[in-house]
Amino acid sequence: MAALVVPALLLVLLMMVAPMALLFRYSLNIYSATDLMIEAVTLQNYVAAVADPYYREVLATTLRTAFLATVIALAAGFPAAYVLARMQGRWKSILTLITVFPLMVGNVVRAAGWMALLGNTGVVNTALKAVGIGSVQLMYTPGAVVAGIVTVVLPYMILTLAAVIEGIPRNVEEAALNMGAGPLTMFRRVILPLSLPGVIAGSALVFILCMNAYATPVLLGGSRFKMMAPAVYDQFVRTTNWPFGAALAFILLLVTLGLTMAGSALLQRRYAR
Amino acid sequence: MTNLVIDGLRRTYGATVAVDRVDLEVAQGELVALLGPSGCGKTTTLRMVAGFVQPTAGRVLIGGTDVTQAPPYGRDTAMVFQGYALFPHMTVAENVGFGLEMRKIARPERETRITEALRLVRLDGYAERRISQLSGGQQQRVALARALVVNPGVFLLDEPLSNLDARLRAEVRVEIRALQQRLGLTTLFVTHDQEEALTMADRLVVMDRGRVRQIGSPEELYERPADIFVASFLGRCNILSGVLEAPGSFRAGGLLLPSAGERPRGPAALAVRPERIDIRPDGGCLPGRLTMVTYLGGMTEFHLETPAGPVLVTKPTPAQGDPLRALVAGDTVHLDWHNSFGRLLGIEPEGDLP
Repeated sequence: MAALVVPALLLVLLMMVAPMALLFRYSLNIYSATDLMIEAVTLQNYVAAVADPYYREVLATTLRTAFLATVIALAAGFPAAYVLARMQGRWKSILTLITVFPLMVGNVVRAAGWMALLGNTGVVNTALKAVGIGSVQLMYTPGAVVAGIVTVVLPYMILTLAAVIEGIPRNVEEAALNMGAGPLTMFRRVILPLSLPGVIAGSALVFILCMNAYATPVLLGGSRFKMMAPAVYDQFVRTTNWPFGAALAFILLLVTLGLTMAGSALLQRRYAR
Repeated sequence: MTNLVIDGLRRTYGATVAVDRVDLEVAQGELVALLGPSGCGKTTTLRMVAGFVQPTAGRVLIGGTDVTQAPPYGRDTAMVFQGYALFPHMTVAENVGFGLEMRKIARPERETRITEALRLVRLDGYAERRISQLSGGQQQRVALARALVVNPGVFLLDEPLSNLDARLRAEVRVEIRALQQRLGLTTLFVTHDQEEALTMADRLVVMDRGRVRQIGSPEELYERPADIFVASFLGRCNILSGVLEAPGSFRAGGLLLPSAGERPRGPAALAVRPERIDIRPDGGCLPGRLTMVTYLGGMTEFHLETPAGPVLVTKPTPAQGDPLRALVAGDTVHLDWHNSFGRLLGIEPEGDLP
């Protein structure tokens, strides 16, 4: 049995663990404009990143965007997930397909669509002008980025939630209604606490995806709106400061991991008791 | 005074009629069982009373108030679900207290009533347990307590014993009946188990394909079934088909058989309970050849082939030395019964039997 895991394990070791270890090693080196980097064991890249107000702002923007997108995806995804989970037969497969459909379009293509929609001569602004409201700056705003990211992550949220909601027996809902709970109370006291594992898993998955978003913030946020993943890219490709880029990448990883774990623990304690 | 009135209730799903013109009144403190094979409409009827299914036609009245349009949470009912439907994320006390909380009962009273309800179902000391820590029988009692604690106008039970093993089932049956009588609850009970229905209910409603076949006390239904369906669904019954030639002259397999009851002349069926038939060496109304003798401990079953068709006779196992004890397959005997045990019923179209 154990042998069956070997191919996947090798793949993970080779493609994930090895590059990560290498990257971590780089983050301890010193940048050199001439030699790319000098071997060393120093935390100065981390210290520099944390001390720089610019990168603190980039991290704050990333956190704000990821948090907002996660909350919106959760709020918008839950009702849809509920309907999907309670649906039966042919319609369920059709609805699942519709949910997954956006994933078949690449991030860049989707962002291009948003540009056509939100640009200064885009669909929305043309309509606003026609009504006499006049043009509004929609592109290259944090709102555009959040909207763009939400559409990317929503299917993941819905599918994760629906899998958990499906496991909640129907008659438990009926029992709550029968005991005198209205639909809203029933939702708050029964459905929500019982779907908590899905809320945690879905939010963690989506939050991680949001924190690492690249194409959407670059295309919809423009040059002045900076998130962590594009910042890491800049260090590697534009400035070729590999040690600093690696340090930024690990800061992103640690913050994402730490917040995801803390958030899950908090939710679990709050509701599960 | 809370009674339940079901008035011309009907529910269709597309072209399928799940429940058709069901009329029933459950008096204050009475336990009525809806009994029938699966798909007979008993559960749909119960769910219409609870408000989970909207009737296509007809009304539901609880304590004289028409609640047909009321949502489930707007009706004074409490239900024990098949599989219990307990809230797995709450403790026993939270489960039991849920209905009281929804009724905005203050905490001190709530706690008193939870304690009382748990004592009633013999679960004192289990208040802080989680549902997953309880056995099936204990979960069943929590479900009972959760429904009883709100002192419902109408108490609904949907196959509440089907998830218990046989021994526990017999025990809980008695417990539920005792509680229901002690609290004087107006109760509607759904089951497919006739023994459950016979032992627990004041009255039974036998349903078949959405319709009520017969309503009556367990004794009435067993002793005086209205039709072949009821006769063969409740307990075991020999159904012999033949012709009623004149009042008191029912002929089957060429023989005149003892019968009672009025019916128009013509094709008819005779229903005789297996325990009402006597076995004699000779001189009975119906000769038969034993095909099988089954010893069941306290009872013995005699399977016979007769000119009127196969017949089953059950007797308390005869003592050693009794001539009946010596009977084996292949022996020829004579059967007889008192006129009053031969009940004349109408012939039903094919496919109408359970």
